[in-house]
Amino acid sequence: MTVVAGVHEPSLALHVEDLTASYAQQAVLWDVDLNVPPGVLAAIVGPNGAGKSTLLRCIIGAVRPNAGHVYVHGRPYREQRHRVAYVPQRTSVDWDFPTTSLDVVTMGLYGRLGWFRRPRRSEADEALEALAMVGMDAYADRQIAQLSGGQQQRVFLARALVQDADLYLMDEPFAGVDATTERAIVDLLKDLRARGKTVVAVHHDLQTVATYFDWLALLNVRVIAQGPVTEVYTADNLRAAYGPRVVLLGTTDGAPAAAATGAAPGAAAAPVTDPDDGEASATEPSTTEARSPVA
Amino acid sequence: MDLLELLGDFTVRSVALGAALVGLVAGALGSFALLRRQSLLGDTLSHAALPGIALGFLLSGSRSLTPILAGALISGTLAALLVLLLTRSTRIKDDAALGVSLSLFFAVGTVLLTYAQRQVGAAQAGLDAFLFGQAAAVLPSDLTLIGGIGLAAMLALALLWKEFKAITFDADFARSLGLPVLALEALLTVLIAVAVVIGLQLVGVILMVALVVAPAAAARQWTRRLEAMVALAAAFGALAGVAGALVSASARGLATGPVIVLAASALVLASLLVAPERGLAWQAARSWGRRRALGSHRVLVDLLRLGQDHRDPAYASEQGMLDTYFGGPTGHVLRRLRRRGLVERVDHMPEEGAHWVLTPTGQAQARELQVPFGKRPGDEAPR
Repeated sequence: MTVVAGVHEPSLALHVEDLTASYAQQAVLWDVDLNVPPGVLAAIVGPNGAGKSTLLRCIIGAVRPNAGHVYVHGRPYREQRHRVAYVPQRTSVDWDFPTTSLDVVTMGLYGRLGWFRRPRRSEADEALEALAMVGMDAYADRQIAQLSGGQQQRVFLARALVQDADLYLMDEPFAGVDATTERAIVDLLKDLRARGKTVVAVHHDLQTVATYFDWLALLNVRVIAQGPVTEVYTADNLRAAYGPRVVLLGTTDGAPAAAATGAAPGAAAAPVTDPDDGEASATEPSTTEARSPVA
Repeated sequence: MDLLELLGDFTVRSVALGAALVGLVAGALGSFALLRRQSLLGDTLSHAALPGIALGFLLSGSRSLTPILAGALISGTLAALLVLLLTRSTRIKDDAALGVSLSLFFAVGTVLLTYAQRQVGAAQAGLDAFLFGQAAAVLPSDLTLIGGIGLAAMLALALLWKEFKAITFDADFARSLGLPVLALEALLTVLIAVAVVIGLQLVGVILMVALVVAPAAAARQWTRRLEAMVALAAAFGALAGVAGALVSASARGLATGPVIVLAASALVLASLLVAPERGLAWQAARSWGRRRALGSHRVLVDLLRLGQDHRDPAYASEQGMLDTYFGGPTGHVLRRLRRRGLVERVDHMPEEGAHWVLTPTGQAQARELQVPFGKRPGDEAPR
C-alpha cells in the first residue's frame, strides 16, 4: 500500500485549488484557492454575486466546476463525503413540504443508512438528540411549515449535527433569524470548534464577522485575502472585496474609513450578477454600503 | 344493470380492478410530481404518448398492448427530454417548453393515428379508445400487463422511498450525501411516465393528467406527512378509477376517462372545501370564529372601561353608547354574552332604551382580556 497516494495537503481541513466555475460563459468563481486549517470557524465574506454560495455548491458537487479540485482532510472530497455536512440556505427548499422537524433531521442519516434501508427507532433517537442540541426537541413532531424562520434554521443545523461530520459547510446560517437564534447558533458553532470540528460559513454581516469567526476568506469571484480574521479583516482588504465605497467600523488597522467619494483607482473587479447568489441584503449592517458600481 | 349485477360480472370486476390499480399508481407517483411542481409534465407525457401508440400499432401490425405501451413510453420520454433540452439550451422557460413539446408530439400523434386508422383491423384495435379511454376495449390480457407494470413501479417507489423523498425536499443536500440526484430524478420521471402510460387505455391521453394531479392535490389537503399523502392519493386514485369503470360499464358507450376524471375532481373539490386546517370551509370557520370572539372581547372590555370610568364595576351602560364605542350595532354581541352569563340587561330608565351591566363573571373575564388590548394611563392608579 502506497501511503502517500491521493493524499494532498493533509494538514488542512479544506483545501480548494484552482476552482473555476461559470454560468452562461460568465465566470462566477475564478481560480479560487482556499485553505482552511482544522478546528477553526471560518467565514466566507463578499458582496452579492461574489460566488459565495456557488463556492459551497461546487465543493459538495451540486455545481460542476470548469476546473479545480477539492480535498478534505488530505483526501479528495468524493472519498471524504461522510466527513462533511452541508447546510444549504434556508430559503432554498419549500417549507410547505409535508413533513415534520424530526423527519427532516433524520434525512441527515440517509447517507450513513445507504441504499434501500429505512430509518428505524435508533435513527429517530439520534435525530431527537440533535434537535435537543439546538433547543428544538419540543418541536419534533411539528409540521415544518409551522416553524418560524429561526426554528427552520435550527432544524437545518440539527440535520447537519446528526451527520456527526468533521467539516461543516453552512450557507448563510444567520440569514433572517432573530437575535436569540443568532446567539444560539454562535454558541453551537463555538461548541463545534471546541470539539475540534471545522466550520466554513458564508456570512453576510461585516459587523459580526470578527466576533463570531476566527478565520476569514474574502471572496469576490476570486479570493481577495484569507487567513486569521485578525490579519485579514482590514480596511484595505474589505475595500478590495467590496469596492471603494464600503464604510467600515473598527477594522483591525485601527483606521476606520470614511465613506469614500468617487471611484478610487485600482478598484476591485465589479461583481458579476449571479442568479444563485441573489441573497437579500437585509442582513447587512446599515453601516456597510457594499453596492458596487455595476451598470 | 344495478351495482350488484355489475360487480357479479367478471369482466366488469376485472376492469374495475385494473382501473383501481391505474388510479393507485397515478395517485402515488402523482404526489411526487405535485411536490416537485412537475404536474404539467404529466400532461405532456400523456399527450406525447399518442405518436408512440400509433407507431406501436403500425410497427407490430397488431392490437397487442405491449408494443403500444412501449411506443407510448418511448415517445413520452422523448417529449420529456425535449422539454429538458429546450429549458437547458435556450431561454424558453418550463411552461412554454412543456407547451411546445406537448403540442408538437400531439400533432404528430394525431397525424399518425389518422393514418393508422385507415389500415386493416384498426377499427377492431380500438385505437381511438386511447383518446378518451374505453374500459370496454380492455382485454383480460391487457389487465395482466397493466397490473404487472403498475406493481413494478410501486415496488421501485417503495425501495427508493427515502432517496426520492430526499431529492424532492432538498436536492442539494441529497447531493451532499452522495446520492446520484440526476439519475434519481430521471428515474422518478420515468416512473411518472409509466404511471401515465398504463392508464392511457382506460383514461385516454387527453385526460390522463387529471389522474396524476387530482388525487395528489386532494390528498395534500388532508395530511402533514409524505407517507400519509402518498397513501391517501393512491386511495383517492383507486376510488376514482373504480367509480369511473363502474359508471362507464353501466352506461353503454360512455367513455371511461371523463367519468374517472369527474370522480377525481369531486374528491379535489370536497378536499379543498372541507379538509381540516387547509380546507376553505375550515379556514372560513376559523376566521369567522376569531372575528366573533374579537367582537365579544371588545364589547366586554368597553363595558369594563365604562365601569372603571364611573368607579362602579356594575355600571349600567346604555346600548347606544356601546354601539358608538364599538363602531356598529352591538345588540347581537350583547345577547350572545348574556347567554354565556357575562352580561345582564337592566331597564332602569325605560324611556332611554336598553342598558347593560357586567355580571361578576363578566367583570373577571373582561379584566383578563383588558391586558392585551392595552391599559390606559391611570387604570392602575389607587382609587
